[in-house]
Amino acid sequence: MSALPLASPRPDRAAPRPRRHLEVAPTRAQRRARPRLLPAVVTMGGIGVILLAQLLLSIVLADGAYRIADLQREQRDLQRQEQALTEELEVLSSTQNLTANAEHLGMIASGNPVFLDLSTGAVSGTPTPAGGSLTGSSGNQIGNALITGETLVQVSTTSPLEAGGSAGTGGSAAPPPVSTGTIPSPTTR
Amino acid sequence: MHSARITAGRLRLTMLVVVAIVAVFVVKLVDFQVVRAQELTLAAESRRTIPVTTYGERGSIVDANGTVLADSVERYDITAAPVNVDWETGLTQITIDGERRAVSNQEAVAKIAELTGSVAADLMAALEADRKSQFAYLVKAVDLDTFTSVWDLDIAWVYSDMRPSRVYPSGAIAGNLVGFLGLDEPLSGTERRWDECLAAENGQSSYERSADGVRLPGSLVVETEPSDGGTVHLTIDADLQWFAQQKLAERAAEVGADWGTAMLVRVDTGEIVVAADWPSIDPNDLNSVGPDDAGARSFVAPFEPGSIMKPVAFAALLDQGLITPDTQLVVPGRYTEGLPAGEYITDVFAHGDLRWTATGILMNSSNIGTVMLSNRMSLEERYEYFRKFGFGQPTEVDFLGESVPGNHGRVFTPGEIDAVSAATQMFGQGITATSAQMVSLYQTLGNGGVRMPLTLVAGCEHPDGTWTDVPVPNGERVVSEYAAETTLQMMETVATQGGLRSVITVPGYRLAAKTGTGEVAENGRYGSERIVSLAGVFPADDPEYALVVTLAKPDIMKSSAAAAPTFNAIMEQVIKTFRVQPSTEPAPDLALTW
Repeated sequence: MSALPLASPRPDRAAPRPRRHLEVAPTRAQRRARPRLLPAVVTMGGIGVILLAQLLLSIVLADGAYRIADLQREQRDLQRQEQALTEELEVLSSTQNLTANAEHLGMIASGNPVFLDLSTGAVSGTPTPAGGSLTGSSGNQIGNALITGETLVQVSTTSPLEAGGSAGTGGSAAPPPVSTGTIPSPTTR
Repeated sequence: MHSARITAGRLRLTMLVVVAIVAVFVVKLVDFQVVRAQELTLAAESRRTIPVTTYGERGSIVDANGTVLADSVERYDITAAPVNVDWETGLTQITIDGERRAVSNQEAVAKIAELTGSVAADLMAALEADRKSQFAYLVKAVDLDTFTSVWDLDIAWVYSDMRPSRVYPSGAIAGNLVGFLGLDEPLSGTERRWDECLAAENGQSSYERSADGVRLPGSLVVETEPSDGGTVHLTIDADLQWFAQQKLAERAAEVGADWGTAMLVRVDTGEIVVAADWPSIDPNDLNSVGPDDAGARSFVAPFEPGSIMKPVAFAALLDQGLITPDTQLVVPGRYTEGLPAGEYITDVFAHGDLRWTATGILMNSSNIGTVMLSNRMSLEERYEYFRKFGFGQPTEVDFLGESVPGNHGRVFTPGEIDAVSAATQMFGQGITATSAQMVSLYQTLGNGGVRMPLTLVAGCEHPDGTWTDVPVPNGERVVSEYAAETTLQMMETVATQGGLRSVITVPGYRLAAKTGTGEVAENGRYGSERIVSLAGVFPADDPEYALVVTLAKPDIMKSSAAAAPTFNAIMEQVIKTFRVQPSTEPAPDLALTW
């Protein structure tokens, strides 16, 4: 096209003028607004990170849910166990059971209490011999469907005498033996 | 131009179709989101939401020392989903000794039956009743050990339900007072009377769960919180209660009595330490006694008490200044004054004219002497004293059923009483009273004439530690201190000179006692049946406890001698239990005759 001589006075009519492809030249601002790679990567990456975080979070949460479920199950089991043991203890400490076990060990009911006044040394009350069994010949009459009738300690291994002796030395709460002749008394003056 | 028109037409059509489709979607959206929103949400939620009932624990009943008399426990119902059973192959996977293997359905059921102690055929029948059913009960209310052993079999079609249940660790001790529960509600005794304190509120919550049964995080919705019930504290001492019941049972068997009661009360507070009934129900086993014996006779079964009522007359006469212990009287062997023709009153033994003092009349339990002295008071005065001592009205305990007319005894008003009853009520016939009312009389005499409200419940302790229903011990003076103390001194002659003195006294302790042999009216006539009692206050010089022991209709020994050994045994046990100090001064020597 540039080879066309400007000097040619007539344009060649036969040959149509080639249509020129025109394009709007982008302005500077338009050129700047063209999509760029970095922001796209950052955005996509951000979304990815958020999604990943959400996934991780829900994994952690779900894991926590399983742990909570496990711990709650454990807590429930322990509570049930505690309750079952309390129940057993209450039955064991019932009067019927204690009486049966005490008599099984050969224990007998005490007689009248006698009081010793430490300030004057005076004895009041009328001693009576120990009264034997609390329940008499007919045994316990006050029923308790929860008691199986088993005694906790087998007498074959512990004779009443031994039981008495071991109880005296075994109990740390038992008072020390009083030496003869002196009465422990408060020493306030 | 033609093609342009076509293009425009297409465009319009497309727009129309798009609008139509959008319209359909919008309609559907509104339908789902607005019109049927609630219904659909509920349907969706119910597919994944599990409602759970959280149980509050019913409060316990304890004695004065904290010994548990009634407690809540968990029991487990073992259930099954027959629809999940593999009926085609007839095999079930179970774990035995840590080893997973397939056994026949029958064997699996037999294993459950063996562990729970039930009959395999019954369980199989329950399971096979409806093979498409989602739910069938196998075994109800097993304890934790049994439940765990069944659960460890790990059978896919076995499920469980928690069932709150009740145990009574002390059995029949105070069973009459504690009462028991029915299937849905408390039926008797303290369980029912104090249900308001004991009852727990169940809570309701729901959560969403995943396919493997784990709760989805953050999905728990608590609709109502459960709240535990409170603890009812009785004033009873369970050990002493046992002892009293035991002694009653032994003695009742010896003399062939139908029933017996023993009531022990602290005189200064009115607290009931023992309210023993024999027979008494074991709330763990509702068939342990007959229906008549399931309640607490001591509170709701009035009877004609006989001579243990006489101290009312003497205390009232002393209070009015109408007698002194030495008031002299000639007591004939038969008394007719003021009675309709043909009616007369005698004493328990035949005698001619006897010169008794007022004390002698009380010691010898002379009906005639008591009536002669009582005639110094008007009918209105007698009625007033009976009422002030608490007769003819429910006690402050207000035990279940006590307020029902006929359950708290009857004192005839001066207007309605006949001449015979007006006389006989002074020695405890023609008037009815419960054991609780009788012990309240002796409490009043032991407390210097001030009647304290009887209390059985020391209060309701709520889970947060606060107490309610704590009784206020506001006493009411019935007779003067002089009258009460003098009556006790006169009653001491029963323990020092009466026929039962060697049986009832505990060495070293002064006792003010009164015997009673009430005749039992049956079909309008007094027959040979007796209700025998021994009542007393000890130590007489510084009263601490009032005790009344009653045995009904003994076959042999139809006198208060039947009740005496029981009275003595309980008194001795009380002295030992509470370390009651011996008396320091001897009883006054009051003249019986002149």
